[in-house]
Amino acid sequence: MPVGTISDRSGAPAAETSAGGEAIVLDRVSKSFDRGLTFALDEVSLAIHPGETLVLLGSSGSGKTTLLKSINRLHEIDGGRVLVGGRDVIELDVVELRRRIGYVFQGIGLFPHQRVLQNVETVPKLLGWSRKRRRERARELLDMVGLPPKRFERRLPCELSGGQRQRVGVARALAADPDTILMDEPFGALDAVVRERLQGEVRRISREMGKTVVLVTHDLFEALAMADRIAVMHDGRLEQCASPAELAANPATEFVAELLETPSRLMDRLHDDGSLGADDSVRGTRLVHPRTQRTGDVA
Amino acid sequence: MTAIRDWLAFAGTRRGELLEQIGVHLELVLVSLGLATLIGVPLGMFAASRRTRRTPVMAAVGILQTIPSLALLSLALVVVGEIGVKPALIALTLYGLLPIVRGTVTGFDAVPPASLAAADALGMTRWQKRLRVELPLAIPNILAGVRTAAVIGVGVATLAAFVGGGGLGVFINRGLSLSDSRLVLLGAIPAALLAIAVDGSLAALSWGLQPVRESDRTKWSGRLRPVALSVPIVLLAASVWPIVVSPADDDAITIGSKKFGESLLLGEIVAQLIEDRTDIPVVRSFTLGGTLICHESLVSGALDMYPEYTGTALKTIVGGEASGDPAAVQRQIERGTDTHPGYNALGLRWMPPFGFENTYALAVRPEDADDNGWESIIDLVPDAGRLTAGFESEFNGRADGYPALRKQLGLTFGTVADMEASLMYQSLADGQVDVISAYSTDGRLDTFGLLALDDSTSFFPPYDAAMVVREQTLQRHPELVAIFDDLAGRLDAETMRKLNGRIDQDGDDPAAVAREWLQAAGLVDQSTVARRSTTDARRAASGSAQSVHRGHSPPFQTSSSKPDSFASRLIGAGLRSETISMNDSYGVCTE
Repeated sequence: MPVGTISDRSGAPAAETSAGGEAIVLDRVSKSFDRGLTFALDEVSLAIHPGETLVLLGSSGSGKTTLLKSINRLHEIDGGRVLVGGRDVIELDVVELRRRIGYVFQGIGLFPHQRVLQNVETVPKLLGWSRKRRRERARELLDMVGLPPKRFERRLPCELSGGQRQRVGVARALAADPDTILMDEPFGALDAVVRERLQGEVRRISREMGKTVVLVTHDLFEALAMADRIAVMHDGRLEQCASPAELAANPATEFVAELLETPSRLMDRLHDDGSLGADDSVRGTRLVHPRTQRTGDVA
Repeated sequence: MTAIRDWLAFAGTRRGELLEQIGVHLELVLVSLGLATLIGVPLGMFAASRRTRRTPVMAAVGILQTIPSLALLSLALVVVGEIGVKPALIALTLYGLLPIVRGTVTGFDAVPPASLAAADALGMTRWQKRLRVELPLAIPNILAGVRTAAVIGVGVATLAAFVGGGGLGVFINRGLSLSDSRLVLLGAIPAALLAIAVDGSLAALSWGLQPVRESDRTKWSGRLRPVALSVPIVLLAASVWPIVVSPADDDAITIGSKKFGESLLLGEIVAQLIEDRTDIPVVRSFTLGGTLICHESLVSGALDMYPEYTGTALKTIVGGEASGDPAAVQRQIERGTDTHPGYNALGLRWMPPFGFENTYALAVRPEDADDNGWESIIDLVPDAGRLTAGFESEFNGRADGYPALRKQLGLTFGTVADMEASLMYQSLADGQVDVISAYSTDGRLDTFGLLALDDSTSFFPPYDAAMVVREQTLQRHPELVAIFDDLAGRLDAETMRKLNGRIDQDGDDPAAVAREWLQAAGLVDQSTVARRSTTDARRAASGSAQSVHRGHSPPFQTSSSKPDSFASRLIGAGLRSETISMNDSYGVCTE
């Protein structure tokens, strides 16, 4: 099945366009664990437009993180294709690919032995930028994420709050001016107030700079706050991909419908890991993949 | 308090030699530590990267650590085939591996997974990830391993003296063989301080490499950091400097000696005479570990000469039955036997004997000898049953010792006690024993007024002392022959006992004793002595038997007892499937 005829269920607006204009195209991407017994990704097809913020929404085990990591080949896929800028990632040098794509994740992963400025400079340094150029760039970005370089650039990560660290993480992902930024639960570890503020700022920055953002979250409200479009993942399959309004108006599956009908009930019950426990009232919308319950969180 | 003050005064008189050996010690420790780090860190990285590699690597370095340090030194000696710094460095390097490899593995394990994930996601190659993320984060643990290795190294390096590697072990060994606790402490205390200093400077390095929190940053820490970082570098440079700078002096003559006073004295006498009469630089490589170490060094050219005894050469080097005739023994060792080449074939020449032999002797109290009419060993036979003998355990065991006395002369004592050499003479004088196995040139015979019985039956083989010199050295410096001719027959047993007594009992410096005797014997002329007084004064002040000429290898120095004979045994086993043993502090070094 070619990219152009993605099934209705995917709801991908990319269905009618050629791969050339899209920032990222996922074409029937499959990935299995346990020697093919369990599917983490089951023929997922999706096109991501340049400059949009697309949120992959799903619980742990839904395959959203696996899908995200297949874009910069932190996970290699078993079937299908991933195109970045129109080129199959399998043909690209993996290191080059990763340097061209910004990455922010929940653990942040700032290098504890390096100061804030050095952390932000990482990718430009790998790309061989001059010292002067990368200093200027890093300071500019620190300013942009709300950490005045004068005060913060010489600090070690251990001298920053969680929110400040994540700001540095965002600045680091933006340092080499990538067109695309992948974010894996970037605000998961932050308290609600900081999270909301950062969500707004990242949204602003990515809009202003015209970045393509693919963001993974289990938090419906984060998805609603950030997304141009939301791709709902469930059991390794793409349920629907559409704008928040469209999702609410025309849910393609029962799962999507229930997900959007019960936000107020969900809000009270959503655990950190995205599970809903065994409450009878929400059993029908259970987001937990059976495999996850058995083997633990693999996302 | 006075004891401490006395010791400090004593240490002060040895300052020159002490500083030199501290330098050698530091050089051994730091160079081997550097090598161990260069090998251990990559090895640890190799082991840390995969679980399947870890077990074999850790097991291998672990096994190295279980080998007793002396055995490892001896193995290194056999492998390298020469004495000096090389075997010591090899053994020390192998010993330092375990803590460093373990520290590296621990360090790499402790790298936060998030940092690794970030390194991947940002597009680092495998090696960029290793060198920019994992290695810097592992450094505190690696350095902790290096510090452990350094402290172990300072301790183990004291054993380097056994294989002629020098270092502070020289004092410890000499102190043990001369029963001088001040000398032992002269090695032990600086070694302990050195361990603290090395550990401290590595701690400083570790601190200097650690990023400082911005909030902790003060003016002082900023200034101290470069200092902390440079401390170990300066130390390393200071210790390697002598190796780099000292020119290889091909023209120099290296004189060796064994680890007891008499051998040292003979080496010193010859060294001073050569210095007095020629312009050849002399390197003193004294107190080496044993007959075979001396001999192999001579054959390999590491030494040019060392004093040896004919009986020892016969028993240990050439192999063969001894006859009582010195001339016959001399011929035998020069020609060799069917199985072993003689000295001629090895390119070694025996110089004219000094004029004394240092052999086993049975010593008694003179009043007993008068009462019972004992003159020679054979006279003891009828009275032996009621006598108590105090023998060194080695004499008690070796085939040509007490067992031979019993078998060949029928001399069986009522009671035989195993004794330390240093206690035998005193015990005999005090009447606790009646007969001891003495050495014929031991100064303590005179000190305690004891009588060495004649060996009229030539029961013990002749142990005439003479210098053994490389043929090549004699060709290069023919003027040496005249020097040895001048010394021929000048030292009789009585003189030797007196000179040995000054060194062993009075604790006089062998260099000073040698100089005085040379002057008294008229071998050095007073005016020349005056001309050379500056150098002599310097040597006397440092109390050192060491020359300042070091060549590319530091002074080989060794002495002492058990570990040493163990080492020599091992080498002996490796070289000629025959064990040898060295006797503790005195002359006879034979099997």
